[in-house]
Amino acid sequence: MRNLIPLVFLVLAVAFAADARRGVTLPLPGPSGVTMDDLHLGPPRQALRDPPTFQSGPYRLNCSECHALFPSLAEPRVPLLQHRNVVLNHGQNDRCYNCHSRENRDRLVLRGGQSCGFDDVPRLCAQCHGTVYRDWQNGTHGRTLGSWDRASGRQQHLGCSECHDPHAPAFPHLAPLPGPNTLRMGEQESEQAHGNERNPLEKWKARHADAAEESTRGREH
Amino acid sequence: METAQDAAVSPSPENSRRSFLRSAVTIASGMSAFVAALSPLHELDADDVPTLEGFLQKHYKEMGPGEMQTALARIKREVDKRYSVDSVVRDVRPKEGVEFVYALNLSRCIGCRRCVHACVAENNQSRSPEIQYIRVLEMPRGTIDIERGNHHYDRPTVPDLLHYYMPVQCHQCANPPCVKVCPVEATWQESDGITVIDYDWCIGCRYCEAACPYWARRFNFVEPEIPKEQLNPEISYLSNRPRPKGVMEKCTFCLHRTREGKMPACLEACPVGARKFGNVLDPESEVAHILREKRVFVLKEDVGTLPRFFYYFDERYPRPEGEPALDPLHADEAKAR
Repeated sequence: MRNLIPLVFLVLAVAFAADARRGVTLPLPGPSGVTMDDLHLGPPRQALRDPPTFQSGPYRLNCSECHALFPSLAEPRVPLLQHRNVVLNHGQNDRCYNCHSRENRDRLVLRGGQSCGFDDVPRLCAQCHGTVYRDWQNGTHGRTLGSWDRASGRQQHLGCSECHDPHAPAFPHLAPLPGPNTLRMGEQESEQAHGNERNPLEKWKARHADAAEESTRGREH
Repeated sequence: METAQDAAVSPSPENSRRSFLRSAVTIASGMSAFVAALSPLHELDADDVPTLEGFLQKHYKEMGPGEMQTALARIKREVDKRYSVDSVVRDVRPKEGVEFVYALNLSRCIGCRRCVHACVAENNQSRSPEIQYIRVLEMPRGTIDIERGNHHYDRPTVPDLLHYYMPVQCHQCANPPCVKVCPVEATWQESDGITVIDYDWCIGCRYCEAACPYWARRFNFVEPEIPKEQLNPEISYLSNRPRPKGVMEKCTFCLHRTREGKMPACLEACPVGARKFGNVLDPESEVAHILREKRVFVLKEDVGTLPRFFYYFDERYPRPEGEPALDPLHADEAKAR
């Protein structure tokens, strides 16, 4: 019996040494690869504060400088020859002069005919979007950046046109960033191939359904 | 009767060359088995061994200013060495007269997951295996049964019109079950309402993870892996310093930012302004307005955790032009058509 002791130790030594060389590899999912550059922090679009300008060769002109030379036509219902880059998708609000002043192209216009500057857009939008305007005034609609502390003076409250394109104000749909691949939530699979199986609960149910089916089949034979 | 001297001189069965060789082989193979069993220690990095200084460090609440400075200097030394950065390690304390509250507008969230990844970048979570504090659930419209939510939605664009999106993270409960179950008091609630963890005191028993009804706590099963160039060097003791293996971690409302007046990283990344954060003790703050005027609910109200994280709605769910109003009870039929 005592002769076996060295043999046992020798077998253990070989087994331990082999095990140590093999090392341990955990089945870890790789990183998602998302960095801060993918997040696009800050205001999503550059809002106009000053009236828009028109670049013609070396000259930068205000819109009114040319538009003042000839009277503005009543708004036609046919596609314009100019401003073809403007995609108008603002619901029932589909007339240029609803917001742009017909008399002065450097100004906007309110429903009562009063003039409104490009830096005062929320007043214009508020005429139709009353509930959203009220929420925006309270800070419950829109983005507040910089600081949560009103007293700090660093609070930056974004205006309507800093997020919404006034010509097509619905917020554009975005591509989502990669989903979780955490140890507990598991790996993301393609929905086309697996239907609802990506849901961990569904996976679990499917596995148990298979097992139950096999056991019943085993009993039949 | 033999004397001891006789036994040493005359060979006997108990003291022969054979028995000497046998015991020599036994000891040698036993030693080699022992060395082989310890050989994984060769791979142990000297940085992974806790220092005596770290081992003797006191609980966060018991450290004096001098001891805290020593601890911060040790953390800076370790982080700078491991990640080749020049980090700034601080201990940011809560402000007087501040109680943080988070509000999230379910009518606005589009499920783009910007908040999830901004949080990971800000708070130095492990990239592999992935640890994320925020889960975004894609929920069928017409229910708030989170069992029907899906984490793994993967659409070309979001939002999907038959779903709404509900991000879930630490609710910073006023009655936190995770704090009650901690056997070593390594986690507690601070005066501004944020529940924090002393990573150097946590023993990794994961009781708090089991106690949390929102699954807001994460465990470092292995040494967290963060690419050196992605480490956020602005770190603080109780929040985003790199965690060791074997401890819990959780959302801290970015306390190293918010206690200095800044916004949490998830809020800054939100493109639609669905996230609102502030001091609920200030009656003019945005969150105070929301709690007074909006339709607000908390998740799992019945478990009595008193969350400081509120979900709210707008009056009308924004619906694209021409899209018919949805009857949630017949959503599946509408999808089939």
